[in-house]
Amino acid sequence: MYDAVLACCRWLENTPWGVTVRDSSWMYPVVLWVHFVGLSMWLGTSLAVDLRLMGIGARRQTAVELSDGLFSWKWIGFGVSFVGGFLLLSAEATTYVTNTSIRLKLALLTPLALTWHLVVQKNTRAWTQNEHTSAIGKWAGLIEFLFWISVVTASVGFLLTNAVVLRRT
Amino acid sequence: MWEALQHTGWVTTLATSRWLYGLVSVVHYSAVFFCVGTIVLMDLRILGVAYRNQALSVLAEQLRPWTWIGFGAVAVSGFLLFAVEAGDFAAVTPFRLKMLVIVLAVVSALAIEWSLPKWDRAPVVPVTARVVALISILLWLGAILVSVEIPALTGLG
Repeated sequence: MYDAVLACCRWLENTPWGVTVRDSSWMYPVVLWVHFVGLSMWLGTSLAVDLRLMGIGARRQTAVELSDGLFSWKWIGFGVSFVGGFLLLSAEATTYVTNTSIRLKLALLTPLALTWHLVVQKNTRAWTQNEHTSAIGKWAGLIEFLFWISVVTASVGFLLTNAVVLRRT
Repeated sequence: MWEALQHTGWVTTLATSRWLYGLVSVVHYSAVFFCVGTIVLMDLRILGVAYRNQALSVLAEQLRPWTWIGFGAVAVSGFLLFAVEAGDFAAVTPFRLKMLVIVLAVVSALAIEWSLPKWDRAPVVPVTARVVALISILLWLGAILVSVEIPALTGLG
């Protein structure tokens, strides 16, 4: 199993885009920026809906109104951050894969958080009744919020223990 | 002054504790994404490309508290991370540029807050509003760009 993952990482590193980002003196931080811009949209929208489900910062809009209104920008943000993250991984895949935090982030936490996000997205309408969120909706929002914070935590853990040092230009 | 800050007791505690430093970093990153995300959404609404079926003021009312609480968390955690290498950060141009961009971005956010009721009453969102919203997006995304360039250019952070 691990051999297959490692083979994938080697392939990623040798793709034209992997080579380009790795060999460039300026692209890595710019791609990191793209990843962060996408994340701002993704987390700005997703966490807003989670907080609204929990009833934190409730105003005139219900959770489902917010969720519907933010839908397209949320997924645009996800697409942008995914492309950025994929390029970052491609540049240094074989080094990244040795890091426990990034393994945790990519193999466990992100898939779980994303799956849970889809559950929340699908059920937000059902959980909003008469402008109030049901108890299960509140818990679901809290759980999603914590999932994404755990993804950020794993990412910070990775940044602090990463074997790849950003090249100085 | 910044050198002295770097050597105060609580700052050295933060600098030598990997867990504490990590925790502050998690707050900083999460809050940055949340704060910038909600501001950019509001700007996109002003530009007329997001959330068009809601009045400006309704969306602003919803996002405003989150944005500013997020910004408060960004500022406090950011100051703590700055304190760890205060003398070095204060001396390098990219960091000073980052502070300048953030000040300008906050000014643009306040300008938007200030003018929003007026823009909301207009039958169509005025051109000025769109220009300010576009500037705001560029400044906030620019602030993130300068931030990721700091470690790349200076090795700090």
